[in-house]
Amino acid sequence: MVIRGTLVALLALAAAGTSLVAQTTPVHGINGSWEAYPLRGEGFGSGVPPKTAVPPPSAVPQPPLKQPYLDEWQATQARNAELTRKGLPPPSTGMACIPEGMPGMMQVTFPMEILETPGQITIIQEAFTQVRRVYLDAPAIAPQDAEPRFSGHSTGKWEGDTLVVQTVGVKETVRFRNTPHSMNMRISERMRMVNGEIMQNQVTIDDPEYLTKPWTWTWMYKRWPGYKIQEYVCEDNRYFEDPNLRYQRLRVN
Amino acid sequence: MSIDVMTLRRVSVRAAAILLAISVLSASTVRAHHSFAPYEPNKQIKLAGVVTEFKWTNPHVYIQIDAQESAGGETKRWLIECASTSILNRAGWRFNLIKPGDKITVIVSPLRTGEPAALLKQMLLADGSKYGNGAAAGAATIQ
Repeated sequence: MVIRGTLVALLALAAAGTSLVAQTTPVHGINGSWEAYPLRGEGFGSGVPPKTAVPPPSAVPQPPLKQPYLDEWQATQARNAELTRKGLPPPSTGMACIPEGMPGMMQVTFPMEILETPGQITIIQEAFTQVRRVYLDAPAIAPQDAEPRFSGHSTGKWEGDTLVVQTVGVKETVRFRNTPHSMNMRISERMRMVNGEIMQNQVTIDDPEYLTKPWTWTWMYKRWPGYKIQEYVCEDNRYFEDPNLRYQRLRVN
Repeated sequence: MSIDVMTLRRVSVRAAAILLAISVLSASTVRAHHSFAPYEPNKQIKLAGVVTEFKWTNPHVYIQIDAQESAGGETKRWLIECASTSILNRAGWRFNLIKPGDKITVIVSPLRTGEPAALLKQMLLADGSKYGNGAAAGAATIQ
């Protein structure tokens, strides 16, 4: 009786194991560490160029903002440029130890790691130890149901060799390139290997409340074999906003 | 008529210049967590002194040294700003590379305000080894 019971239990375990294997998402080869491409030089990346020449992507275009947001954005950019020229740079979130959030965290001077596990892609950005979890084949989240977060809420699916990710719920205080957005903003990403070393990410931002048309560009990453992501906790921030003059200052003593 | 064309041309040249400035600014500023603009852009000095503190922290690593700008000059306590820990690790540094009491020489860009703080360009240790501060901080232009 005991033997039969054990056998049944073992068979059940075996069946469960089989179904787990069947549910395992195929590995698409994006596991591992990545650095922004084009490479940014010594101290930032491996400095090892790709084996095959890959044309770098175009620069991120200016945000196609509606009025009056476009005028406000241009005035802010001009003011920031003027302050910076005088050596009085305006306050920034990075200066205050606040992470980039989405989509800025997908292209900074620090490397990132991608982990493929069944049902989930996890993206870990070294800067500020930012983490994104992309739930595969999960129901889409309505923006009004998404708790505002720096990295938002991401769902994804594989369309052939392309990982398609939708992100909603990015906090309104997260300003990519000083661009305002609504809580209805949707970020779409299409990530695909260009060759064995380079991955591209076609990013599109839809936000009809603020943008006249979708804002789209391509970022690229180069695989960095063997790189181990390091800890980054923002613990000793010596920059502060001068309360009267509204620019960055360094606490010297 | 020709004046109008010239005026239009000047306006469009100015608009193009502003757009270029904006694109250059946005390309450079989004990549650093804060601006290095408070430091002298074109001035580098050499300080030789003794380490009083080495803080291996983020967002920046800091070295405090009691140093003189020139032999026989006034000794001041300087705060030297370096890149983040991971950038320095990638540039060959280690968390225990220097310690209080070590004699070092640094090539730096001082703050524009004249306060005794500076952005590191290169560190020279007593054994002759040299360490940079990552690409964003820039390289030493003096010896």
